[in-house]
Amino acid sequence: MFIQFQEKTSKTPGQQFLQSVWQCAAMFTLAVFLGFSINQFRDSRLPLFDDWSMETRLISPSGVRLDISLIEAKNLFSKQTAIMIDARPKGDYEKGHIRGARSLPWHEVDQRFMAVTKDISVDTPIITYCDGETCELSHNLTNFLLDLGFTNVRILVNGWTKWQNADLPIEKEDAN
Amino acid sequence: MTKKRKNLSRFFYHSARLILGVIFIYASYDKILHPKAFAEIVYNYQILPDGLINVTAIFLPWLEMLMGVFLIAGFWMPGTVVWCNILLVVYIGVLWFNLARGIDVNCGCFSTSKESSISIETILWDAAFLALSVYLLFFVFRSETSAGSK
Repeated sequence: MFIQFQEKTSKTPGQQFLQSVWQCAAMFTLAVFLGFSINQFRDSRLPLFDDWSMETRLISPSGVRLDISLIEAKNLFSKQTAIMIDARPKGDYEKGHIRGARSLPWHEVDQRFMAVTKDISVDTPIITYCDGETCELSHNLTNFLLDLGFTNVRILVNGWTKWQNADLPIEKEDAN
Repeated sequence: MTKKRKNLSRFFYHSARLILGVIFIYASYDKILHPKAFAEIVYNYQILPDGLINVTAIFLPWLEMLMGVFLIAGFWMPGTVVWCNILLVVYIGVLWFNLARGIDVNCGCFSTSKESSISIETILWDAAFLALSVYLLFFVFRSETSAGSK
């Protein structure tokens, strides 16, 4: 009896393969159906396609360009009118950073932003930076600071590398 | 196989199934609630073309949710464990790739908040989940060939 049952229900590798393929396809279809139908009816509906280009991402919701050139950043730095904020992890900051820059790692922003920004008035020029052309830490930090009410926040894209390559002042010390 | 070993094996199978099920549901729900934030995370990984970012952010969390629910319910196990293995291998590959090229991004593994950046630790966690998933794969397909299943 048991042997008969086993013969009746056991599957060949080919049957198993087919079974897993149709189940995978069905799950994928179901996930696509659920995702798109629920997205269609939610208030914060995500459009199927967005403009993710760097040009668009470097423009604030009010239409202001968020990036700043190295020359402009250098001028503000020389006049000591801007506050530089390093968005990289603390370990990277401690290995080296723009002279006088404050450390506000993006991943610790919720815990540290009060301490780092308490003496900065909302209209003070702030320049955020991280490292790499595609680094998003400074971009995220800039949006966060703009949301907090700071009105003059700019991003020095690929800031750390550009700053070093231009032989501008850097320092190595403990984080604030 | 002795009855004791068989029972032990089934115990591991059910434990692995439930653990992974809970993990996938936990990993998916915050992404389902915050699709825009998850799309940002997908973008930050700098792997997909722009046209696929929102589409992926819309359906991927639901696939994870389905996998979690099916794992806990023990439903469509062959297809579910195949998806588990595929996704975990892809996740490990993507994490490794971005770590190797030095891109510091928010993991987005379990939530869309600023939980932590990717690290070797993240990869090791995913590797541990993959080990459970591979065990499930072998168990499901071995038992299917020997005695069938649902």
